[in-house]
Amino acid sequence: MSALKFVFGSPTVCTGCMICANACSMFYFKVISPTRARVRVMRFEDGLDFPLFCRNCEDAPCKEACPEGAISRTSKGVLTVNNTRCNGCGSCVKACPYDAISVNPDSGKAIKCIQCGECVKRCPVEAIWITTQKELADKDKNGRLPPLYDKHKAELYSRGEFL
Amino acid sequence: MIKGVGGQGLYIDLTSQSIKKKPLDEQVVRKYLLGAGFLSRTLFDMIPDGTDPLGQENVLGFATGLLTGSMFPQSSRHVIAALSPLTGIWGESHAAGFWGPELKLAGYDSIIFTGAARKPVYLRIQDSTVELLDASSVWGHDVFETDTILKAKHGRNCRVLSIGQAGENLVRFAAVMNDRDRASARSGIGAVMGSKNLKAICVRGTGKLEVAEPRTYLKEMDELHRRMLANPFTPGRAEFGTTSLIELMQHIGRLPTYNMRQGVFDGYDKIGGHAINQGHLMKPRADWSCLQRCGRFTCVSEGPYAYTGGSPEFESQAALGSRCGNANLESVLYSHHLANQYGMDTISLGGTISWAMEAWEEGLLTEDDTGGIDLGWGNHESIVKLTKMIAFREGFGDLLAEGSARAAEKIGRGSERLVMAVKKQEIAGQEPRAQKSMGLAAVTAARGADHLYGFPVLDEVGFDDEIRKRFGEQYLPQMADRLDPTYKGIMVKECEDFMVVVESVGLCKYGTQIPPEFYYADIALGLKIHNGLDISVQQLKTIGERIVNLNRLFNARFGITRKDDALPDRLTKEKAPVGPSKGQVVELDRMLDEYYSSRGWNLKTGLPLKSTLKKLAL
Repeated sequence: MSALKFVFGSPTVCTGCMICANACSMFYFKVISPTRARVRVMRFEDGLDFPLFCRNCEDAPCKEACPEGAISRTSKGVLTVNNTRCNGCGSCVKACPYDAISVNPDSGKAIKCIQCGECVKRCPVEAIWITTQKELADKDKNGRLPPLYDKHKAELYSRGEFL
Repeated sequence: MIKGVGGQGLYIDLTSQSIKKKPLDEQVVRKYLLGAGFLSRTLFDMIPDGTDPLGQENVLGFATGLLTGSMFPQSSRHVIAALSPLTGIWGESHAAGFWGPELKLAGYDSIIFTGAARKPVYLRIQDSTVELLDASSVWGHDVFETDTILKAKHGRNCRVLSIGQAGENLVRFAAVMNDRDRASARSGIGAVMGSKNLKAICVRGTGKLEVAEPRTYLKEMDELHRRMLANPFTPGRAEFGTTSLIELMQHIGRLPTYNMRQGVFDGYDKIGGHAINQGHLMKPRADWSCLQRCGRFTCVSEGPYAYTGGSPEFESQAALGSRCGNANLESVLYSHHLANQYGMDTISLGGTISWAMEAWEEGLLTEDDTGGIDLGWGNHESIVKLTKMIAFREGFGDLLAEGSARAAEKIGRGSERLVMAVKKQEIAGQEPRAQKSMGLAAVTAARGADHLYGFPVLDEVGFDDEIRKRFGEQYLPQMADRLDPTYKGIMVKECEDFMVVVESVGLCKYGTQIPPEFYYADIALGLKIHNGLDISVQQLKTIGERIVNLNRLFNARFGITRKDDALPDRLTKEKAPVGPSKGQVVELDRMLDEYYSSRGWNLKTGLPLKSTLKKLAL
């Protein structure tokens, strides 16, 4: 399994308070604005709150889709956007299977989670953590989490349409 | 320019369908803040004397607080106000959720509605687009359906506020609901919305809040978050929400039981927090920037009372449980869920049903009145049935939809003395003979019986240190003793001033009043780093006092004087029959004298003295 890191959260622990999203937009853009955060939070009426981040996919469809070659992987394995190259065309947004990359309306540049941990350290219920696929499988031994995400995938992910 | 706000107010005349935008007036903010203070000023000026609460001339206002949508702990709240159809005086209600922050992110701090639409409409806000739309697709639908329908139409990320059938049918204690199960429940504000043919406000805001001190913002907020999480009350709040207050109130004899005949209930453990956590709690949940997460997801998994939904709070458990002599937990949870679905205040709902149950027991109501419904204490099937009948004004439900005071006036037969209300609004879940400050707060509250306007909880479980800090050593031990009326007038006055400030900045009473973690200085800090407003602690205290006096002046215009600041005789003359408060009555007059004196109000009329108004620049 891939050793690439990503942020992941438990919808049965997350309370939906938005502190992760607000900390993110404040940390990076000095504003409070969930639409300018690199994390999304969605609540469902069956009692699940999903904190949603870039999964740092090995095949990286966002990177493949970028016509400007603006998305690349750092030596630490983090997919980042080069702001000089990015022209905000949104190809990456449509390519991402997790709705985890969006275009900041102020800068016109694509933004995504880079696993900086600013939200992780502020989550009041420790519902989110930085992990790898292997670590996650070890932590979630009974495989409880993937079915919860599967159950709501039609509403969680839209190839950018719901953003 | 004030930072961290939407920046504009919406002024909408439903009769002419005109929509105007006006910038936020900094002078008004400096004098009244936003939220409750802003609405107090605005509606005082706009609502004419002699207005019919359900008539066109009533004005319905919505406002966020200055810190709503910030990262200050528990800063999710909005306020709704109008002349109340339940009390005929100042009506105000508040709720948490995400709707308020979304309104700000769309660029608006407040919405003022005048007039009434000829056909049902709803307001749709998508950033700069503001439009009144035909509501025929949602009129007649409940709160949950309305949420689903409007999100399907306008996008899943919208935040929906609406009335249910209770508001449409002008139930006098109809709520305005947001984010499905957050309730602005008291004062019957939902009926005002219904009378204006306004079904919902659907908001999507993709904007941003620019704060005054962005460089230090996270650091300052981190510290407030740390303090909130470190408070010894927070773990219990997260575990039980407010549901385990049932156990605490039983312990101190303050749990309204059998229409407030007494303050202890034999079946308390069956409807308490532990019972809910054992079989029905799915997860604690939070609203915007909330670290205490007293909200719940709960369910009943099978049977006639099956549902999945939000919360309950202690108030609903007490109102639909012990107050009605009902120890059937699933029915308590389900009737609470139905009240959310149809959009009703559970306190007045339970208060009205329990009035009917006592009248039934005394033979003042019979099957001829109820249409065959048995109103024996604890008949949970009847409680559930009546919840729906009230929302739809069916049969006997039509009478109860008027609230207990009006229902008793209509029925007569001596049932009036069983009404546990102040100024026609049902008293909330605090049996005041077991906590005298709550009895005083219920009569001085601007919106009729209400525990939240002053929320004097400092004597509830011994916040001696807090009393020492806020008032001084000389008030101990009497002020901290819940059965001693001494100094309660001083305490309630101080608490009211603080609570209206909290409602004006958009914070929750949890975290400010109980537990008393954040006080004036913390709010002043918030206003500085979020809004860029330099308002001192002393200025905030004066603003609080000013808002309370303005609310009193509003009520004076609608005929309120000291004689109306009264509790039912049961609570002031009949000794509590059982429990820890056995033998107690509420010594109301004595406390009121002290309260009026510390407010600078006339002892005879209970109205502000000229010198007081001058001091407050009113």
